[in-house]
Amino acid sequence: MNCEELIRYLSDYIDRNLSDELQADAQAHLSTCRNCHVVLDTTQQTIFLYKETGRRGIPIERRADLFARLQRSLAERKDCSS
Amino acid sequence: MAGAPPIPLDALRAGDPAALTALFEAFADRIYRLALGVLRDPAEAEDIVQETFVSAITHLDRFEGRSSLGTWLYRVAYNASLDRLRRRREEPLPADEPEDEAGEAIPLPRSLVEWTVTPEQRLADSEVSAELDRAIGELPERLRVVFLLRDIEELSTAETADALGLTEGAVKVRLHRARLALRERLSVYFSERAPQEGDVA
Repeated sequence: MNCEELIRYLSDYIDRNLSDELQADAQAHLSTCRNCHVVLDTTQQTIFLYKETGRRGIPIERRADLFARLQRSLAERKDCSS
Repeated sequence: MAGAPPIPLDALRAGDPAALTALFEAFADRIYRLALGVLRDPAEAEDIVQETFVSAITHLDRFEGRSSLGTWLYRVAYNASLDRLRRRREEPLPADEPEDEAGEAIPLPRSLVEWTVTPEQRLADSEVSAELDRAIGELPERLRVVFLLRDIEELSTAETADALGLTEGAVKVRLHRARLALRERLSVYFSERAPQEGDVA
């Protein structure tokens, strides 16, 4: 496997979607190619950073209001349909 | 979808307040993040949460149980978000980029610098978190939303495809492009920034 192929398969490699044979080829390339190893490592760090920081939800101070608004809309909707 | 407790649909249909609370608790944050990811506007993301739940409860009979409730809600929320995005733009949407699903070459990585500070150390840094937000904000919407569902919400490829109305192949290609684009952008940022005082050697 060359660098270009490795990059093409990188996400499948990270997600363990490759066949055993391709996974082994990728591993062999990564063990000898510093550049591809850096790309793998920094891609995994990128995913990690977003996974850890990206799960902020509705701001705590907005949550109750939003739920109350939903309840009001549903109540109004029922009033209309009856 | 992992982690979501079962929602009693019959109770929801009957207007049971506890079922509504359970639905909200299980899905409001996920819908909010998806809508925020598409629209990049907290107030509009709240509107989408509202619209999605009202629409879902109104049309609960259309939910066939073919996909999970979560995936169905994502689909409703995503379509509502796209509608808003289209209405918001005064100028017509830019012409679609060439379709990447047809096997167009993935750009090769340019930055090959190692990141010297560990992710754990970066997480404590508010400037880094602002940069993460800018970087994802600059991705095209169609890449951003796939990255969000796959790598942040941890949906499977099949669930993401279902929620967004894409093929699994398109989800994979878009995810790959999104990851590489974000990596490139962050590599530039981290290599310009490091090493700095205060970073642990």
